[in-house]
Amino acid sequence: MKAVFDWLQSRTGFRGARHVLLDEELPAGTGWFFTLGSVLLGLLSIQLLTGAFLTLYYAPTPDHAYDSVRFIVSTFPGRIVRGLHHYGSSFIIVAIALHMLRVIAFGSYKPPREATWLSGLALLALILGFSLTGYLLPWDQRAYWATVVTINIAKLTPVAGEFVAGLLRGGASIGALTLTRWYAVHVIFLPGALVGLIVLHLVLMRRHGISGPVRPRQGTPVPFYPYQAARDTAVVSLVLVVLAAFAWGGAPPLEGPADPTDSSYVPRPEWYFLGLFQLLKYFPGKWEVVGAMVVPGIAAGFLALLPWIDRGPERDPRRRPAIIALVVAGVIGICTLTTLGWRDRPAEGAIADTWTLREVGGHVLARSAGCARCHGSDAIADPLEAAMSSRGAEWIAGHVGDPEMIAPGLRQPPVARPEREVAALVAYVRRISRQPYPGFPQRTEVAASVFARFCVGCHTIDAEGGSDGPDLSKIGEKRDADYLRGLIADPEAVDPKAEMPSFETRLTAAELDAIATYLASRK
Amino acid sequence: MERRRVLTVFVNSAIALIAGGLSTVLGAFALRPSRQENAGRWLRAGALADLTPNVPVPRVLAISRQDGWYRQRARETVFLVWDGDKTVHALSATCTHLGCQVRWDADSTRFRCPCHGGVFDVQGAVVEGPPPRPLGRVDARLDGTGTDVLVRL
Repeated sequence: MKAVFDWLQSRTGFRGARHVLLDEELPAGTGWFFTLGSVLLGLLSIQLLTGAFLTLYYAPTPDHAYDSVRFIVSTFPGRIVRGLHHYGSSFIIVAIALHMLRVIAFGSYKPPREATWLSGLALLALILGFSLTGYLLPWDQRAYWATVVTINIAKLTPVAGEFVAGLLRGGASIGALTLTRWYAVHVIFLPGALVGLIVLHLVLMRRHGISGPVRPRQGTPVPFYPYQAARDTAVVSLVLVVLAAFAWGGAPPLEGPADPTDSSYVPRPEWYFLGLFQLLKYFPGKWEVVGAMVVPGIAAGFLALLPWIDRGPERDPRRRPAIIALVVAGVIGICTLTTLGWRDRPAEGAIADTWTLREVGGHVLARSAGCARCHGSDAIADPLEAAMSSRGAEWIAGHVGDPEMIAPGLRQPPVARPEREVAALVAYVRRISRQPYPGFPQRTEVAASVFARFCVGCHTIDAEGGSDGPDLSKIGEKRDADYLRGLIADPEAVDPKAEMPSFETRLTAAELDAIATYLASRK
Repeated sequence: MERRRVLTVFVNSAIALIAGGLSTVLGAFALRPSRQENAGRWLRAGALADLTPNVPVPRVLAISRQDGWYRQRARETVFLVWDGDKTVHALSATCTHLGCQVRWDADSTRFRCPCHGGVFDVQGAVVEGPPPRPLGRVDARLDGTGTDVLVRL
């Protein structure tokens, strides 16, 4: 073995490289605080590795991105790999914050290390860029709507707003071109820049040596390996074990597929952007640019100029009270804003309250429409509830209307269904791709099915339906169930001028009763 | 020196453990899907009434296969061969030599491959030419009523 290494040494000189990399002499008193850089290096390596492997399966197109991510998390190793990558990004943000606070507290940015500090800030900007671009890639509701917000914020850029927004979007609207663009930036451009900047940061660190304790200590310098390396390894291992526990314990969130037509979705950013998100709320209207650009810009400028603001050779934080107070105030501010942003979320009503009558009706129709002939746990296609369709409304409508299109060879293709039933089925399928069916009392389901098949053509409930007849959202305030039952069965008997057709023969007694009772309960 | 030795062992083994664990997870992730196989599904290939005993009839079937996250739709040709009684078997039309599509030559009652002269008999056995194996068998059966032929693809 030694002969092999000796030969390798004579041809490559690898022992010299090993010496340069590992045997750096560190000042006495270098301690646990100086392990945070290694933690970042370890976490970033995990991101690069897991990210590279995720690209084996990920497809950056609006039609396939969501399905491919869902496919990745459908296997056990895939769930772990995505978990490491997802939670790893949050770990990196925390590690960066701690690393920066250590550098500030120890005054490590002071001469001659200003360039090291600036390269670190550039790394921070790159990593925020990673977070932003990576967030879009799963193409779920969160991803899509958070990106809408990001691009709208970019429009606030003075003078070049539209240009910057267009640059981010790639196309006229957020879609395929945005996704490939952000994907390319996330997996090619940013990693290239990141590796280059990390090398620069480390070379600069080695050039000036690490700053060490704020006051030189007595003692002889010790080599990095294995003394400081052991501290680094201990902390890195601990962090990775916690990260692995996160990845093991919970699958990262994956909401329903992105739906640009869903106006009810309330987007929220990842937790480390919540502070900025909250800040925007204090600058309404034309002042928004202050929260979106000016305040973060001032903070970034302050950090960049820190080595020139905090002059003088003194590194002991107890003797630099002004700077330390300013930074502590900044940290408290960020924490407060993040907490406020965390708390300030729209009250989530009971899930059942958010289901529209048409969607409930679609559920009833799906049971009777023969979907289960092909969609079942041991049938040719996945059960509807598990299908989580990422298809658009037009596709689902086509599929419901013409199952032969997707299920060739079917002996008896289902009959074509009326337009309103198709609409209800589409609404239902779109809804269960985001949220499981919560379940409703049978009478409500029957009423919903009647509404979705008949009433919706002319009447509106909760802003859904036609406008030829009166809005029925609060009809219970004016009419009781008996009156409504009579009216629906035979409108002209109740009101000779009624334009509504009679439903006596089209509804069963139970259906008539259910819809009348339901409407009477609308108050 | 003793301390140095202990720390060295600690650093090296911790890094080896991390690298090993990560390689296992990433390796399993990378290798996982290649081991998944498509479960065949029974498809209706035609009516028994359209078949003549011992005359292979080609049927082009549209199949939909789950390919990871992608649902792939493909067409595949199978020959249905009825023995004149209760049994129908189905042969893949793909030549076992290099994958060309064989044709049924009614005059010589042989399958002939247009590419390299492979010839198979009505049971799919190689009669002459380069094919190394008989034509692939596709599972086939009659449906419950005995009027339709189902094949599993």
